[in-house]
Amino acid sequence: MSNVEQPRPGEVELKVGFPGHYETRKFQVPEGDAPPWDANTKFTVVGSDEPRVDGVMKASGRAKYSYDVTFKGILYGMILRSPVARGKLTGLELDEARSMPGVAAVLALKELGNKVRFVGDEIAAVAAPTLDQCRDAIEKIRATYESEAHNVDFLSAEDGPLVDDSGEYTEPWAEDSGMEKALAESKVQLTGTYRTEVQTHSSLETHGAVAKWNGADLELWASTQATFGVRGEIAQAMQAAKVKCDSVTLHAEFVGGGFGSKFSGGAETRAVALLAHATQTPVKLMLDRFEEHTCTGNRPASLMHIRAGLSADGILTAWDWRSFGGCGHNGGGGGVAMPNHFLNTAKKRTTHKDIATDTDPARPMRAPGHPQGFFGAELFLDELAAKAGIDPLELRRKNDQQPIRQAQYTLGSETFGWQAGRNPKPGSPMPGDDARYLRGVGMATARWGTLGSHGGRTPHAALCRIHQDGGVETRNGAQDIGVGNKTMMAILTAEELGIPVANVKAVMGHTSDPSGPASGGSTTTPSIAPAVRLAAYQAKLELGKLAAKHLDISEDKITWAGGKIGADGKWLTFAEACKLIGPNPIEARGQRFPNYKGEPIENGVCGVQFAEVLVDTWTGLVKVTRMLALQDCGVVIAKKTAESQVLGAMIQGISYALYEQRLMDKRSGRMLNGDFLRYKVIGSIDMPPMQAILQTVFNGHSNTSAAGLGEPPSVAAPAAIANAVFNAIGVAVRHLPITPDKVLRALNQRGGN
Amino acid sequence: MSLPDEPERRGFSRRAFIKGASVAAVTSAGVAAANLAQAPQEPKSFAIGEHEVELKINGQQRKLKVETRTTLLDALRDRLDLTGAKKICDRGACGGCTVHVDGHAVNSCMMLAIDAIGSEVTTIESLTQGEQVHPLVQNFATCDAMQCGFCTPGMVMSSLACLQRRGKPTREQVQHDLSGNICRCGTYGRIFEAVERTAEGATK
Ligand code: FES
Ligand code: FES
Repeated sequence: MSNVEQPRPGEVELKVGFPGHYETRKFQVPEGDAPPWDANTKFTVVGSDEPRVDGVMKASGRAKYSYDVTFKGILYGMILRSPVARGKLTGLELDEARSMPGVAAVLALKELGNKVRFVGDEIAAVAAPTLDQCRDAIEKIRATYESEAHNVDFLSAEDGPLVDDSGEYTEPWAEDSGMEKALAESKVQLTGTYRTEVQTHSSLETHGAVAKWNGADLELWASTQATFGVRGEIAQAMQAAKVKCDSVTLHAEFVGGGFGSKFSGGAETRAVALLAHATQTPVKLMLDRFEEHTCTGNRPASLMHIRAGLSADGILTAWDWRSFGGCGHNGGGGGVAMPNHFLNTAKKRTTHKDIATDTDPARPMRAPGHPQGFFGAELFLDELAAKAGIDPLELRRKNDQQPIRQAQYTLGSETFGWQAGRNPKPGSPMPGDDARYLRGVGMATARWGTLGSHGGRTPHAALCRIHQDGGVETRNGAQDIGVGNKTMMAILTAEELGIPVANVKAVMGHTSDPSGPASGGSTTTPSIAPAVRLAAYQAKLELGKLAAKHLDISEDKITWAGGKIGADGKWLTFAEACKLIGPNPIEARGQRFPNYKGEPIENGVCGVQFAEVLVDTWTGLVKVTRMLALQDCGVVIAKKTAESQVLGAMIQGISYALYEQRLMDKRSGRMLNGDFLRYKVIGSIDMPPMQAILQTVFNGHSNTSAAGLGEPPSVAAPAAIANAVFNAIGVAVRHLPITPDKVLRALNQRGGN
Repeated sequence: MSLPDEPERRGFSRRAFIKGASVAAVTSAGVAAANLAQAPQEPKSFAIGEHEVELKINGQQRKLKVETRTTLLDALRDRLDLTGAKKICDRGACGGCTVHVDGHAVNSCMMLAIDAIGSEVTTIESLTQGEQVHPLVQNFATCDAMQCGFCTPGMVMSSLACLQRRGKPTREQVQHDLSGNICRCGTYGRIFEAVERTAEGATK
């Protein structure tokens, strides 16, 4: 960025859009904001291949996650959990545990008579100098329960959906004459039932925290994706100990994954704060893998029943949808999303119902509701296209009005080789393939509807400091859970100041820094980026003032070009200008303003993904053989980390489509595969070659036009894979994960092999 | 899929063992037995409880107190503050705790600390000397072979074993040698690239 222009509040015209589709639109820029970037802006480091700023720290094992934080004499904590799925706690005897060697504290987390809601519900906690001693103490706690009949399967719930042996939902449709008419008038109709299973987040760093009291102040190192939220939650929980938000400092400098499961500190963070308080010693309490699988949330199961009609020219004219979420004991969080972008003119009806079971409640998981809903809807669309004799990509082109996705359809089908990859005779081997294997390709779409926000009730902010030795800090108190937010902050600051990224230190994860959002809804980057840029911009103005004074030129003449500051033949390098600063750094705060009034190109982001599979007809095993993603994410700031996120979402998508499912023992109510031995997550052997193409789109909603990327690329992948399987074998497998047993059953249906 | 040749492993992972049907598991258990047979160690028995022992870690003799049941992973992390190795599953199923014992990649959650007496234990920490990091570590960063980074130290140690054994591994061999390591964020593709870059001699 050259030239410091004065902020231009009020109505401005911005060149927005993406290559091949630019236009000028008017936006209202609030007073005090930095002049917004648009498609005319020439970038130096924004969008470049700059490496992740903490990459070496992580790869060398030096990054300290909350789980790695330790203190001399630290104690370990552990939680006793209920073996009963439903009932109440009738007895809790802690004394024997208290007398075990080393044990420093034993606390009840439930009172007698309290309800027990699932296998894994927390009962009591212990603290001792080693994990082995904790385990010994836990074994000595005597807890008794009065158990009640439980149910862990939403299809068996009293109010659950009724399905027949073939898996079809059997309830008649509620009367709606308009819908019946629209269906009757359509040329092609189809009805189908689609199902998905419970997926666990499986973050590799489990939930938990280290707690340390300094007098009345509590310091927490938590594995969380909501530093400020968890601080508030724990302050509230510790009210009895006279704790307030201002006495809690929370750190989450490195977080080993969250994927939506780490918004709340939960029982484990409350327990560790209490244990540390009781012992007046630092305590570390991290869950084990079984607890992580069974007590920290999940993507709930779903059932979708869909019927729709297509007109003679391939337009969706009727769309009737009813869905169910298979949830945990709170009966919430099971909503499913569908691709509304295809339903512009269709007569539409949707209903949804969440069904409770006696299991761990759902938590948001990467694009909540979307991978399951899009799987159902997009596989349904491919079946409908097949019935109508239309190419499924063509069907989408016809029904989608979004120019970004239209561009992605074209680029994607060319890059992937859509025509050549399609199996012309689903169920038969492609020319040149061994007769044992069936090959096919499929595609699906994604949409995610947010461009971030200024923070709701209170605005987010960022801090920029410039020091006399040329060092620059950019700080925000939210967390980088691995997506690359720190890298994004360093790049934006470097761009604004015209200095190398390596000269910027980006710090996140401490509640002592300016407020930032929880890492949810793909809002972190779009919510923070404009504040980060504004902070750097304000700091730059301050440095410009010092330079003007030193060079004896007027402030409004100051120009920034090629890493130099000055005007009229009088120039200072950035380093020389910094020498004017003195011991106290320039410190500037940038606030996140609300999204500009005006019409962005898309109020969210768009994506399309393609997949090719090879199905082994002897074993039923599906192998994804290549994948392609096209993803818009507003302005691409940190290209490498952004690509990594898209690739990661595709990889998780394969895992969800083909392998992952929580298996419950109906009788005990316990998860049968609560480990990584039997809960299969995709591994290196299963990896196909894949490519991610990022599209920069200037939306014009903030000074950086940044949009979010965490969830959008995880929406389309499972659907694209399911569609590829359909194209390969000619039968739709309507139930995720697409495991060999289901494939073999589908192949039998087809009547072959 | 045909298996590339199986690297020798000292000990065997619970995961490979439980896989049962896999050829890899059978081979590696076989190799382990063979290793033990040719290198009989002075049998030393420990009574249940805590003992002061000496372990050789990253070239240094370290004294520490462990119980007989303490895993090598817990000893490294909780007694010696070597926190690069992560406990992710504690059951030999994820590779997050991978260290090298006498030059072989081992899941340190599956080995007792007392069983490492007399062996050379090498951890991820050994790949940093002052400001210098091993080219493999550098290439992980260059290729952005990570997101949250929690699996990464284990991935680096398994990759290092792969490179040390194979020199220039094929893609299929890299995939095979990393098959005991899970990455939830989904960074496998770029990890393969980082390993291949290192094999080609790239250091930046
Ligand atoms: S923690 Fe050792 S293999 Fe998972
Ligand atoms: S980088 Fe997060 S688990 Fe691998």
